[in-house]
Amino acid sequence: MASSTLGTGAGVPLIPAPMNEQDESDPAADDRDRRLRRIRNRLAREGAVRLVLMAILWLCLTYGLSAELIPYRLSFAGLIFLFIYLPGLGFSLADYREASRAISEMWAFGQYRYKDISRLLATRAIVQADIQDSRPYIDVMHEQIGDSLAESEAEVLKVIGEIGVLNSKANRQRENIAQSIRSGQELTDSTHLRVESNKQTIAAIEMQMEAQTDEFRNNFGRIQSLSGDVRALTPLIKVITSIAQQTSLLALNAEIEAARAGSAGKGFSVVAFEVRKLAVSSTKAAADIGDKITATCKRVESEMAAAHASLEQHEASSAMKHLVAELGKMQEEFSRSSDLLLEVITEVDANYAESVHRLTEALGHIQFQDVMRQRMEHVQSALREMRDHLQYLMETRLNTDKDENLDATFKSLLANHLTKYRMASQHLTHQAVAGGTGAGDHSRPSIELF
Amino acid sequence: MAISILVVDDSATMLMSLKTGLTMHGLQVETANSGQAALDLLKSGLKPALILTDVNMPIMGGLELIGKIRALPGFRFLPILTLTTESESAKREEGKRQGATGWLVKPIAGAELVKVIKQIVPGA
Repeated sequence: MASSTLGTGAGVPLIPAPMNEQDESDPAADDRDRRLRRIRNRLAREGAVRLVLMAILWLCLTYGLSAELIPYRLSFAGLIFLFIYLPGLGFSLADYREASRAISEMWAFGQYRYKDISRLLATRAIVQADIQDSRPYIDVMHEQIGDSLAESEAEVLKVIGEIGVLNSKANRQRENIAQSIRSGQELTDSTHLRVESNKQTIAAIEMQMEAQTDEFRNNFGRIQSLSGDVRALTPLIKVITSIAQQTSLLALNAEIEAARAGSAGKGFSVVAFEVRKLAVSSTKAAADIGDKITATCKRVESEMAAAHASLEQHEASSAMKHLVAELGKMQEEFSRSSDLLLEVITEVDANYAESVHRLTEALGHIQFQDVMRQRMEHVQSALREMRDHLQYLMETRLNTDKDENLDATFKSLLANHLTKYRMASQHLTHQAVAGGTGAGDHSRPSIELF
Repeated sequence: MAISILVVDDSATMLMSLKTGLTMHGLQVETANSGQAALDLLKSGLKPALILTDVNMPIMGGLELIGKIRALPGFRFLPILTLTTESESAKREEGKRQGATGWLVKPIAGAELVKVIKQIVPGA
């Protein structure tokens, strides 16, 4: 019966809640009472109909039978009333009480379920409206992801473009630098050769000048030697002077002796006079020679000293040597410059190679944008799927009497994603959150040549 | 003369990054943003030394493209590498059956890609 405990459907107790005063004043309770009154009235009408039928039966028996049968007739009617009508009336009253009680309990239960169902229906209506609103929500999120991807792709393309421009400029710059360095090297080499040639010429000139200097020095030596020789004649002059003086003295003696001899010595006196005259001339000539030798020697010494000083100064200044040394230094500078230029181009090449390597790596990392795009496109697809599934849930009316079930559930949809993933990372994320198997074999290397 | 490479991908980012990166290494790069565009280029007389193709592309996927390229006269032994996010073994085997020379999984380091290309194409 209704008062017995029943199983529960969705966790809602089927035992009717006790009715309270509030229920009595409820319009729904009035409706229940009206129904009960209707049952009561019906029972009363049924009782009345029965009584009328009994009365008709009694009248029929009264007027249809003879008078002597009246006692039997009354007895029969009394028996019918006693054994049929009264028990029937009792059963009806009991049924009424049972029905009344059942209706009250059912009403209370129905009232409880009605409120519950009303709440559920109201909730369903609200949820349906909200699910309806989820469509633009999901569409907006879908478009947001799409726009983000498009913007991200556009920006990444700009970055790649900038990298390309940067590399082109760096390459052009490197070529320009290489060209400049090649030109510089050619100039350096050419100047180096010219300097080398000049250096050789100047070295030859220097050698020649050194030879000339040596010859000068030798000449100086010879002149000094000659000057010495000439100076060495000075004592001879004295000897000649001495001889001339002695000769003069001797001639004077001879003149004296010739004068003593008289006329015999007259001729001899002339000779002695001439000899003395010659001696005087010789003395004078010797003195002149001596003076001239001394003067010459002094002049030679003076000239030699000046020439020597000039030679020494020339040797000390050694302009040619200086020039050669400078040219040598210049050559070394050119060699160093050439080496430096080579180092520069080598360094520029190395830097360019490194920048190419780094830019290539950077471009490799940019592939992540494509990976991210594909993952986000999958999420977009899942969002669309969720949107459609929500609409499906909103519109679905299942006939549970026929054991109808949902065509698809979030669980089945999620499991289905395992067959759609392309990347191992997608499988890993899915399995970490929701479990599941069938990820396939992703263990092979990322670079595989067949 | 620079080695010519045909890159096929529906992603503009991939096309541009690969073109820029490979050009830096002295390679000449032609691009196609779909399988059909790649086929048209090859039919019009392009003779690349190597083809680098994505697998998942709309309309004509990379594996279908490889099959069609192999059917073209003169392209039976042309090296064709796939560059894809697909890393599953079964897909690789399918690619191998279609005639792919190798399978590269995105993202791949730029230097590694150049190394593989130089390994496959002498003189690159």
